[in-house]
Amino acid sequence: MSSRRSRSRQPRVSRISDDQIAGLVSKLQQLIPHNIHTTHSDKVSASRVLQETCNYIRSLHREVDDLSERLSELLQSTDTNSAEADIIRSLFM
Amino acid sequence: MSPSQQPSSHNPTCLIKNRFAHRFVRALNNLNIKNRSPHDENQIYRRSHRVKIAAYAAMASVVGSKRAWSRAVLWKVRNRSRNQGLLVSSRRKRVDCKSKTSNDHHAKVSVVRRRNPNPKREDLDPFRYSGQELKLRKLVPGAATMDSCCLMDETADYIKCLAAQVEVMKTLVDFYTTT
Repeated sequence: MSSRRSRSRQPRVSRISDDQIAGLVSKLQQLIPHNIHTTHSDKVSASRVLQETCNYIRSLHREVDDLSERLSELLQSTDTNSAEADIIRSLFM
Repeated sequence: MSPSQQPSSHNPTCLIKNRFAHRFVRALNNLNIKNRSPHDENQIYRRSHRVKIAAYAAMASVVGSKRAWSRAVLWKVRNRSRNQGLLVSSRRKRVDCKSKTSNDHHAKVSVVRRRNPNPKREDLDPFRYSGQELKLRKLVPGAATMDSCCLMDETADYIKCLAAQVEVMKTLVDFYTTT
């Protein structure tokens, strides 16, 4: 009986090629903020990119929490209700 | 502003930001925060929690059902509102009718838990669900059972939309701070 070592076990689904994963990892690398990868920009390992991605997502979640807290406080005290569409148009177009 | 030039329509991220801004502001209006003043910390927390849920739901509805993460978010939000509807109605009934049998309480208070369409399958392939990838799967909604390819793809889209959401919210906060 083969010993159950998770790393050497053959995966049940068809193996995704390493090139595909490398391509996707580099795509992710472009999305996360670049201030961390100043030195080895070419040879960042996949696990490092995943780690940075996790950290980035967590920081984005924290920002959303913080911003929604501030928004709820601000909305409490403002009176603007009617001109919402104009506000958005002026902000984003 | 000339109506013929519309630079926002060329950039898909700008389009997402626009649509998200519309839906989010509409949802904020519906939340009706202005008429209630919170009395305690619990209510303050709940108010900001509602804003947060409105933001995630608005972004997920802009993306629609094209993405697994947006489907997962919408499913969670709808399930949560269904459960909360049940809980609220049970609380009201408890207040109105002073004498009620305990059976009724248990029947109404128990929350309907819909079966999650994305069950976790860690036992099938532990190699895939370990290490950094597992942490990523926990962060991206609906990513527990995808293969690695789809996971990266979904993560990239999720990050783009999250960043757009944060930008729009920052703009809104700045706007409301200055007016």
